[in-house]
Amino acid sequence: MGLAMGPVKLDVHQLLSAIVSGDDHVAHVLVWDLRLPRVAAALLVGACLGVAGCLLQSSTRNPLGDPQLFGLGGGAAVVQALAMAGVIGVGAWGLFSLSVVASLIGAGIVLVFASRQGISPARLALIGVSLSALAAATATGILAEARIFSAQPLNFIGGSFANLGWQDVLPALPFLAVGLALAATVMGNLNAMSLGDRVAANLGAEPGRTRVASIAASGILGGVAVAVAGLVGFVGLLVPHLARLLVGHDFRKVLVVSIPLGAAVTLYADQAARLLFMPSEVPAGLVTALLGAPLMIYVARRVL
Amino acid sequence: MILNLEALSFVNRGAVILGGVTTVIPDHSLTCLVGPNGAGKTTLLRILSGELKATSGRLFVGDADTSLLPRRDMAHQLSIIPQDVQPPPYLTVSELVRLGRFRPYGAVWRRLTRQDRVAVNTSLARCQLEALSERRVEELSGGEQQRAWLAFGLAQEKRFLLLDETLDGLDTLVKKSSFELLKEVATEGKGIVLTTHDLDLVTQFADQVIVLSSGKVVYEGPANADLIRHVSPPSL
Repeated sequence: MGLAMGPVKLDVHQLLSAIVSGDDHVAHVLVWDLRLPRVAAALLVGACLGVAGCLLQSSTRNPLGDPQLFGLGGGAAVVQALAMAGVIGVGAWGLFSLSVVASLIGAGIVLVFASRQGISPARLALIGVSLSALAAATATGILAEARIFSAQPLNFIGGSFANLGWQDVLPALPFLAVGLALAATVMGNLNAMSLGDRVAANLGAEPGRTRVASIAASGILGGVAVAVAGLVGFVGLLVPHLARLLVGHDFRKVLVVSIPLGAAVTLYADQAARLLFMPSEVPAGLVTALLGAPLMIYVARRVL
Repeated sequence: MILNLEALSFVNRGAVILGGVTTVIPDHSLTCLVGPNGAGKTTLLRILSGELKATSGRLFVGDADTSLLPRRDMAHQLSIIPQDVQPPPYLTVSELVRLGRFRPYGAVWRRLTRQDRVAVNTSLARCQLEALSERRVEELSGGEQQRAWLAFGLAQEKRFLLLDETLDGLDTLVKKSSFELLKEVATEGKGIVLTTHDLDLVTQFADQVIVLSSGKVVYEGPANADLIRHVSPPSL
């Protein structure tokens, strides 16, 4: 659907032809250079956010765990705003690296608070929301100061996959691989983390190492997601809860299922954002917020 | 196998929490650790479980000096249910008890063996939790949660089980049956160490009593109510 639908519709024959041959140059460019990178970006960002949310929820015992809600994406947002304002010019790879580093700083702050015994899930989420709000305000201030009033900052703050090309997707792949590899090293310990640090440690699950690796992986994946598509909210919160409905409470399964589920949710959210208001479109983050905000309120009512 | 405590001390910010505790805790026995609040019972259990390192002194599990053992290796011998344990989010009682069979060295996708399933089902039955096994732990009453944690501890089948006031939240009848259960488990070969304030049940069931006061052992020996009360501070 993501490849065939749009202002220019392609039937199955045209689509297959565009994919395998370059006979129809317009259709070929449309699919390979415009729609496919966008679909790939949505799948990648969704997978990143789904895994990051699952790692945060399990390692901090917090059902409100989400890279945006916990402020992990805030630092990356400031980096992206600085890049748009022309303050930093380091190329795509450099920008991805800086975004990930900034997100890891946010992850470090979350780690410090999450490691404190007895901090409530709600308090941790409030700290994260405060960090996010501060970062979003800073990013908006940078963009306003630079007098950038085009659709680009709006798409970035709202979280959008519009106008993305392969150059916006490919640099994310190594970071995705590192984030997933780091997550895999502690995946076996995630269930024991739900018992609390003291019991988990007694089982030999090394809660300190598990939490550091989990939150660092969340930082990498959250930073990558922001670097690709801006602030796509609530996917990290929503997806692990949906995955839990599908596969139960085993965080190993939830983590694995969050990869395709996050990808699918984000892809369909982006397609809805792209197609429902054709020929104009809204940021995908608006659609994910429409799905995620009610869940956030529901979970927060149970947690608070 | 025995837990051998040699002059264990713990000092926190200049305050002496434990001042040279020397005693022996054998398996095949129910050892009750009693004393007033602040006597050092919880700190001693945390040292026994490997969570805290003693400021001085040595702890042996059998012949092994625990100061030379990684925490993961200590986890093979001792399980602990802390006093302030929180219900795990979402998990049902049976899921919690199954986590008792977690193995740190196992494969990520390790499945429960038949032996694991027997241990889980036996623990659920012994703690009379079969009817509650598919209920979420966080939805249970405080006493039911305590029983779920007890089943979790039993399912681990470690040589020693350390319980920090795990039974004190239970009503009288359930508490008595839980003491009976622990006595039975101890008779089968496990070493149970339980901190509690219930001297009547301690007198009735404990094989050995250790009374702590201000971080020191003031009595250790058989469960003799008069003797324990005699050596204990009035606040016990």
